[in-house]
Amino acid sequence: MIDWLRQSFHRTRSVFRRAQLDHELHAELAAHLELAIQENLERGMPADEARRQALIRFGGMEQVKEQHREARGLPILDVLFQDLRYAVRGLVKSPGFTTAAVLTLALGIAMNATMFSMVSAFLLRRPPGREPNRVAVVTSINPASGFLADTNPVSAPNYLAWRGANDDFADMAAADESRTVSLTSQGQPEALASAAVSPNYFAVLGVSAQLGRTFSDGEDQPGRDHVVILSHELWERRFGCDASLIGRTIRLSRENYTVLGVMPASFRLLGFTPQLWTPLVLTAADQTAAARRDRSLLLFARLKSRVTLEHARAELVTLAGRAGENFPETEKGWGAAVRTLPDFLVYNFSIRNGLAVMMTTVGFVLMIACANVAGLLLARSAGRRKELAVRIALGAGRLRIVRQLLTEGLVIASLGGSMGLLLAYWGIHFVGANLTFNAAISAVPLSLDWNVLLFTLGVSLACAVLCGLAPALKGSETDVNTSLKDEGRAASTGRSRSRVRTVLVTGEIALALFLLIGTGLLFRNIFLIEHQNLGFRADHLFTASVSLDNTKYKDPLQQTLFARDLISRLQQIPGAEAAAVASDLPATGPGTVTLEIKGRPELPANQRLSALDVLVSLDYFRTAGIPLLRGRTFTETDNATAPRVVVVNQEFVHRHLQDQEPLGKQIRLDVSGSTPQWNEIVGVVGNVKTYSAGTSDDPEVYEPFLERPAASFSLMVRATSDPNSLSSALRDTVAQLDAELPLARVMSMPALIEQQNGGDPFFVRVLGSFAILALILAAIGIYGLVAYSVGQRTHEIGIRMALGAKSPDVLRMILWDGMKMTAIGAAVGLVLALPLPKLFDAMFYGLHLREPRLYFIVPVAILVVATLATYIPARRATRVDPISALRQD
Amino acid sequence: MAESKLDLLQGTLDLMVLQTLATMGSLHGYGIARRIEQVSGDKVLLNQGTIYASLVRLQQRGWISAEWGTSSNNRKAKFYCITKRGRKQLSEDAAHWQRLSSVMGRVLAMPEEGGHQ
Repeated sequence: MIDWLRQSFHRTRSVFRRAQLDHELHAELAAHLELAIQENLERGMPADEARRQALIRFGGMEQVKEQHREARGLPILDVLFQDLRYAVRGLVKSPGFTTAAVLTLALGIAMNATMFSMVSAFLLRRPPGREPNRVAVVTSINPASGFLADTNPVSAPNYLAWRGANDDFADMAAADESRTVSLTSQGQPEALASAAVSPNYFAVLGVSAQLGRTFSDGEDQPGRDHVVILSHELWERRFGCDASLIGRTIRLSRENYTVLGVMPASFRLLGFTPQLWTPLVLTAADQTAAARRDRSLLLFARLKSRVTLEHARAELVTLAGRAGENFPETEKGWGAAVRTLPDFLVYNFSIRNGLAVMMTTVGFVLMIACANVAGLLLARSAGRRKELAVRIALGAGRLRIVRQLLTEGLVIASLGGSMGLLLAYWGIHFVGANLTFNAAISAVPLSLDWNVLLFTLGVSLACAVLCGLAPALKGSETDVNTSLKDEGRAASTGRSRSRVRTVLVTGEIALALFLLIGTGLLFRNIFLIEHQNLGFRADHLFTASVSLDNTKYKDPLQQTLFARDLISRLQQIPGAEAAAVASDLPATGPGTVTLEIKGRPELPANQRLSALDVLVSLDYFRTAGIPLLRGRTFTETDNATAPRVVVVNQEFVHRHLQDQEPLGKQIRLDVSGSTPQWNEIVGVVGNVKTYSAGTSDDPEVYEPFLERPAASFSLMVRATSDPNSLSSALRDTVAQLDAELPLARVMSMPALIEQQNGGDPFFVRVLGSFAILALILAAIGIYGLVAYSVGQRTHEIGIRMALGAKSPDVLRMILWDGMKMTAIGAAVGLVLALPLPKLFDAMFYGLHLREPRLYFIVPVAILVVATLATYIPARRATRVDPISALRQD
Repeated sequence: MAESKLDLLQGTLDLMVLQTLATMGSLHGYGIARRIEQVSGDKVLLNQGTIYASLVRLQQRGWISAEWGTSSNNRKAKFYCITKRGRKQLSEDAAHWQRLSSVMGRVLAMPEEGGHQ
């Protein structure tokens, strides 16, 4: 075995040391002859006889050298080099063909590599830390189904109970990933995304600080909890990578925090972008029954060795069931989900389906490109039939011919792949530069990494086979007799060859149609979203968001006072027409709440009614321009002491009250952190889209902000002119009230909506351009095929015209051939595309695509393009001069 | 004349080369070829040149080593030497050949049974 390995190694090496080894062999053989001649001379032979005898005994010099080469090297590799040289020579001789084929493949491969860089960045990158696959993420399952209902955070009492009762985990940590703090150390106060984590969080994940240390036990106790760990990004941006910051204090939300450490830049969990970490402090209040409604913690737990994920999952389901029995009021129907850390991050980020659509699209475009190149190669091999026949007649094996033609495909694919990689390098930068609409996405750098390189290599090889196989197999079938006899006098080309090309082109048409309908559906969706009536007037609105900290605004009364004060000052800004505050701005996807309607039987937990829940100040509806349809909106008297009232939207009346009289009806909302009370419906307003990036209207409940204020809220001012002119006045107003309070997302409403709709329009546009490219490639394919067959049939056409066929007849004949292929391809593509709307609905939450017109428009468009592509060569056919056509060849 | 000589079976030349080097020590290609001719009493059909394919094969397997040196007539020539691993291989192969040839001898010496067909 070792000997064999050693020999293989030497053999391979020899292939690359050919010149030197040949030189040595030459010297050795010369020495051999000299010795033989000398011995013969010593035996008394004359000089020329001595030489003759020596040569006879030696045997054929060239055979010996060849034997030596075969014994020492790899004959297969030599043949490959020969094939390669031959292929390259052939390609250099026809630069037009080579350029077209290489460019087509390069484009296809570049698109695939670029899109794959996103797969690599988002799906394949390992989360940081030790053995991330042994870290389980525990979440709650919300019985009210919705988007990602099974990654709902967990409440503090459940965290404490599950941590204590569980045998499967070596350690369990909790993190509230969605906190906001204000940093007022240097410069303008800034609102930062932060996470509150239990002290063992970093240990459970298996990561350590780049500088300083992470939290230690007990730092979640009140009094010791004013410590903070910074992200690398924040440390760099706000503190200029100052290493002496460790141990110093910075000011966060009006309090002093000691900086313990800085995490490395590589510590990043996909989808989470906290800029700093503080200890999660759980007090007695977090263990009460009311705290069960406050679900804000993600649980990270390291599995004990030899404990499987399934086992841990089963145990947590049992624990969640127990909580449901013990606290039916709050826990009924809620389950627990357990995933590994990598799984959870990818699932929670929910980008997988979008990437699948992207990859399918670029994959199809590449298949079309390959079909085109295969078509080109076929056309070329048809021209080389005679050459192949001669080679077969001279004794070349079929396998050798197949290998030769495959090598040609390989050379084209490698050239295409290398060029594609260059293009992809640029493409990745382009996509990366456009992926800035969302902090979580732009936090993930795209790069041409090893995964992308390997993928490109694989794709290029696949292309080589796809492009080379059909021509290779056809080529090896060459029948020596007919090919050599065939003097081009045959009436038309061989049936089987044109059948392969017909299949290729039909397939291209089908794929292109499928892609166009798919992206057409998505395009239509984006168009609808961008041009829909959101239900309020977004123009002239200027917005910002505020988070009141616990230090200064712990009491709801203080929050109410601040909000009241803020609104009255905002209204006095010159150029402001109206101002309001609300827990959520219109069409920004507010939270949902489950509810009960008085006089109706109570429903099981997983079937309870739910509605969007927004807290709004008095002038909210007027400021946003949401029309009041029935009853009244809130007044100054709807305060904390007054009877509780709510306003609902039209959809609420329609869906939950079955269009019955809504005014005066009582509803009860399951609001977290307080005992549910009955509220009277006093008004009905128009529907506002739930989320500007979707088209759905959902039942919505508005509560008066002054009755139940929120610590985090947004403010909104309607301007009489350009809303952006209010920016500085708005900042000043807030600073006058509280200089240490940061404002976040300070921008006009249209800008906010654009940011919210973010990536989708970009991606759909990219997809659309891919689909158009697919159509162009398919058109080139059909053009190439028809042009080629017209070229082949010149003789036949000449005969037809000599026998009296008129130009229009010929034109019709050729066009009909093209149409037939297009029609078959379009029919196949149409059938394939039928289930697309349903598929998209299932893949993307909240999408409902129905656009039957597309199934008519796209095939017609394809027919038109294909007709044009056929018409040009068909025209040429009609200009055939019968005399010259018949003389040809 | 060619018919009267023994055609070499695949692999036998390698064994002859190994055996020659084992008994003679360091030798160049011509020396090995001559030695085999002499020992076989000119009974094997051997184009001297054939030996070089065998030499490179043995060398790549690590059974012999080679070195440029000076021949008796003061010319540069490549000298071959058997290695330790080569000796081991030789003893294995020689044993194998001896077993095979004794079996072949016995089989061929089998008395003919009367009345074929």
